[in-house]
Amino acid sequence: MERYTLKNGIKTIIKRNNNTPRCAIVMHAKINKDPAKTGLYYIMTQLFFQGTKTKTAQELADLMDENAIDISADKKSDYIIFKIQCLNEDINTALEIFQDIIENSTFDEYKKEALKIKGEFKADLDSPKLQAQENYYRTIFKNHPYGIGRQEIIDNIDLITKEDIIKAGEEIKNNAAKNITVVGDFEKADIINLLEKHFANLKSEDSADERTKVAEIKEPQISVIEKEDANQAQIFKGWQFPNIYSEDYAAIILLNTILGSSGLSSRLFLELREKQGLAYTVRSAFEPNILCGNFSVYIGTEPKNIKTSLEGFEVEINKIMTEPVSDEELENAKNNAIGKRQFYQETNLLEAILKGYYEFLGLGYDFEEKLTENIKSVTKEKLTETAKKYFSQPSVISILAPKKYLEEAGILW
Amino acid sequence: MEEIKKTQVEYPFLEKPVEIYERKCGHKIVFAYKKGGLLNISSWVKTGSINENDENNGISHFLEHLMFKGTSKHKAGEFDRTLESRGAIVNAATWKDYTFYYVTIPKGCDNRNFKDTLELHADMLLDPIIPDNEIGEPFDINNPKIKTKRERHVVIEEIRMRKDQPWTKVYNLLNKNLYTQHPYRRDVIGNEQIISTIEREKVLEYYKNHYTPNNITTIIVGELNFDEILPLICKEFDFKGRKNSENKEHQIDTPKNETTIIEEYAKINTGFLMFGYLGAKACDIKTSTALEMLCTVLGQGQSSRLYQELIEKDKEHTFNVVSTDYYHFKDGGNIFIDANFKPESKDKAIDLIKNQINKICREGITPNELKKAKKKLKAAFAESAETVSEIGETIGFYMTVCNKLEYVEKYIQAIEEITLEDIKFAASKYLDINHAVIAVLMPESYKK
Repeated sequence: MERYTLKNGIKTIIKRNNNTPRCAIVMHAKINKDPAKTGLYYIMTQLFFQGTKTKTAQELADLMDENAIDISADKKSDYIIFKIQCLNEDINTALEIFQDIIENSTFDEYKKEALKIKGEFKADLDSPKLQAQENYYRTIFKNHPYGIGRQEIIDNIDLITKEDIIKAGEEIKNNAAKNITVVGDFEKADIINLLEKHFANLKSEDSADERTKVAEIKEPQISVIEKEDANQAQIFKGWQFPNIYSEDYAAIILLNTILGSSGLSSRLFLELREKQGLAYTVRSAFEPNILCGNFSVYIGTEPKNIKTSLEGFEVEINKIMTEPVSDEELENAKNNAIGKRQFYQETNLLEAILKGYYEFLGLGYDFEEKLTENIKSVTKEKLTETAKKYFSQPSVISILAPKKYLEEAGILW
Repeated sequence: MEEIKKTQVEYPFLEKPVEIYERKCGHKIVFAYKKGGLLNISSWVKTGSINENDENNGISHFLEHLMFKGTSKHKAGEFDRTLESRGAIVNAATWKDYTFYYVTIPKGCDNRNFKDTLELHADMLLDPIIPDNEIGEPFDINNPKIKTKRERHVVIEEIRMRKDQPWTKVYNLLNKNLYTQHPYRRDVIGNEQIISTIEREKVLEYYKNHYTPNNITTIIVGELNFDEILPLICKEFDFKGRKNSENKEHQIDTPKNETTIIEEYAKINTGFLMFGYLGAKACDIKTSTALEMLCTVLGQGQSSRLYQELIEKDKEHTFNVVSTDYYHFKDGGNIFIDANFKPESKDKAIDLIKNQINKICREGITPNELKKAKKKLKAAFAESAETVSEIGETIGFYMTVCNKLEYVEKYIQAIEEITLEDIKFAASKYLDINHAVIAVLMPESYKK
C-alpha cells in the first residue's frame, strides 16, 4: 500500500492485489457542518444518481448495469462515502460515470426523489425493530443530527429546496476534506493517470469541524413505543461512549467482544439466550462516531420478558464493571477481536473502505497494526476501569411492546 | 489410505481447479484453493424442510440448533468458545433442501487452526448428544409453566421475531399457497406447537436418518495443501459403517390455472405484496439461468423494467419498493416479484405488475437487456468468488441441490449461450399470469 497525492492535493492510497477480477475505489468526504435542513445530505446522495447535464437517471442506470458497475453514495454520521466497484476492464468507464455524477448532477428531480424517499422510509418503518432502534438514537442523541432517523426525514424532507441541495453538493465537491483509496489488480501508473483525469476538478480542504456538539445524557431515560400486535418486545439500552481517537478504544473493542458483539460465546448470548432462553437475537454494539460514540445492547424477546431482560442486561453490565475478567477470558477476547479483523478486509472493497476510513480520520492506513498492538496490551484492570468509566454514566432505554406488557414491567403506569 | 474417487472442476475466477473426492462410504470432500488469510470449512447435509411432514415441521432447523449442544468429547459451548477465541465466525443455516454448518477462521500458523477446527467440526457433525437439559422440557405453548427456558424457547423466539417482519410474513403466506402437496409449502422454521412439544427421541431419529455419509459434503476453501489434509479429513469423518439413507422423491406440484390472490392484515402502514411462480428444477441449468436473467431484466437494479416503469415513471407513485428474486430449489425454483405500495392503491399496484409481466411474456426482452443481464450475472459470480465463505456456499449449493459441481464450470458458458428466444420461451412457460399466486399484506384498517 502506498500514498500518492494528486495534483489537486487530494490524498490517495493505492494497493495492488493480484488476481482479483473486481477493483474498488472509495472516496471519503467529510461532513463538517450540520445539515442546513433535516435529510439534506441524504437526499443529495440519492440525487447523484438521478440525472446529470448530459444523462437522464435511466441512462445512468443503464450505463452502470450494462457494465456491471456499482457506484453508491452513502451518508454516514461523519462523512459521505462513495464506493465504486467494477470488473477490472471497466474501470475507465466507471470513473467516467463517477466524474459525471459528481460534477454534473442537476438535482432537478428533487421533488420526485423526496416522494420516493418518503415511500421507502415508510415501508422500512413497518419493521418494529427499526422503529425501536431509531427511537434509541433519537433519545441518546436528542436534538442532534446523529439522532435523525427516517421519521424525521419523512416529516421534513419537503422543506428542502433545490438550492439547498446544490449548495450542499458544492460543499462536498469543493471544500469537504476527502481522500481516495484504490484496491485492485492494476498497474500503479495506469491508476494514477485515471485518478488524475477523473478527480481533477475536485478540491479538498481540511476546515474545522463546525458541527453542533452532542448534548450529554445527564439522567437515565426510557422512551417507549406502544405496539399492540408486537410478538416480541424490542429493547435497546445504550450509553454515550468515546470515539475512535480515545485511548480507551482498544479496551472498548474488548468490552464489546466479551459482552456480545461476537458470535455464540459472548456473555449476553450465553446468559440471556443459552441459559435463560429469552431470545434468538441478543447482542452488543459499539459505534465510535467522531462527535460522540455509543455502546448499546439489544434483545428481541417475548413481551412478558421485558423486566427479566432488563435485569439480565443490568447483571451483565454490573458484572463487567465490578468483577475482573479471568486471564483466559481476556486472552480469548483478544484473539477473537484480532482474528475477526481479517474479515473486515477480505475483499478489495472491504479493504478500501477500512484503510480509507483510517486514512480519512488521520490515523493512517496502517492503523490496523497499531490497533492490534493496542488490543494486545489491554490489561484486566484497564478493562474494568473502562467499563466503570462509561457504564456508570446514565443510560438510555428504548422499548417497543404492547402497552399491557410495558405496564406489567413497571415502565408505563 | 482408503479408496477414493477424485475428479476436478474448473471454477470461474479461481486460480486452480476445484478437487472433488468421493469416498466409498458416499461422503464427499471438496477442496477449493483460495489465497489469503482465511479458511472456510463447512459440511452440507442433504436435508431440510423437504424431508418434513405436518407432525415434525421445523425439525431440521431445530436439530441444527441442537447440534451445537455438545458431543461425547466436547461439552456444549466448547465448540463456539474454542473457535471464536481464535477469531472464527461459526454458524449454521437450514433451508428447504439443505442444512449446513460452517466455520470461517484465520489460517494462523502451522495449520493449527485448520486441524482443531476440523476435529471440532467433524465431531459435532458425527456425535451430537443433544442433552435433555439443553433442549428443555416439552411444554404446553398455550399454558407455559416452565421455569427453565432452553433451546425450545430460543427457536420459539426466532419464530416470534419472524412474525414481526412484514416481508417474512408475506413470503410465508405466498409460500404455503404456491404449493398444493410438496413439502416446500411448509415454513422451514416450523411452528410453536411442534417446537414446544417434539421429543428428543424424534430429533435423534431424524438425525440418524438423514446425517448419513451419502448425504454429507465437506468443503474446504483456503490456501492449504490439500494432499496433506485429505487423510486428516477422512480420519476425522469416520462414519463407523453408518448406513446410508435413501432420499425420498416428491411429486412436483403443477402451477395453478388461474391467478390466486390471498390477503392478510397486520398493524402496518404500507402494503406488502409478493407475486410467486413455480420455476425450473435447479439442475436444469439452462432454464434456471434463463429465469434468473428474466428476473434481472424485470426487477433487479435501477435500470430494470419494474424500477423504471413503476417507480421512476409512475406519476402517482403507487410503489415504494419493487424488485424481483429467483430462488433455486432441487424440485423447482421460485420466481418472485416483491413490492411495497400505498395501501389505497392495492388494485392498481397489482394491475401495474400484471401488465409488466404480460408484456415480457408477449414480447420477450431486447438484445440490449440480454447483454446487460449477462454482464450482471457474470459480475455477480465474480463477486461471489471473492470470499472463502461465498465460494464454500456456492460449492455446497451445487453439490447438495444439483448433486454435482460440473454445473459451476459451465455456468459462465451457460450465461453466454442464452438467447432471446430462450428467455421468451422461459417467460411464456413460467410467467403466465394465470400461474401466479399473489400474497398481499394490508394494514388492518383495510379489513372489510
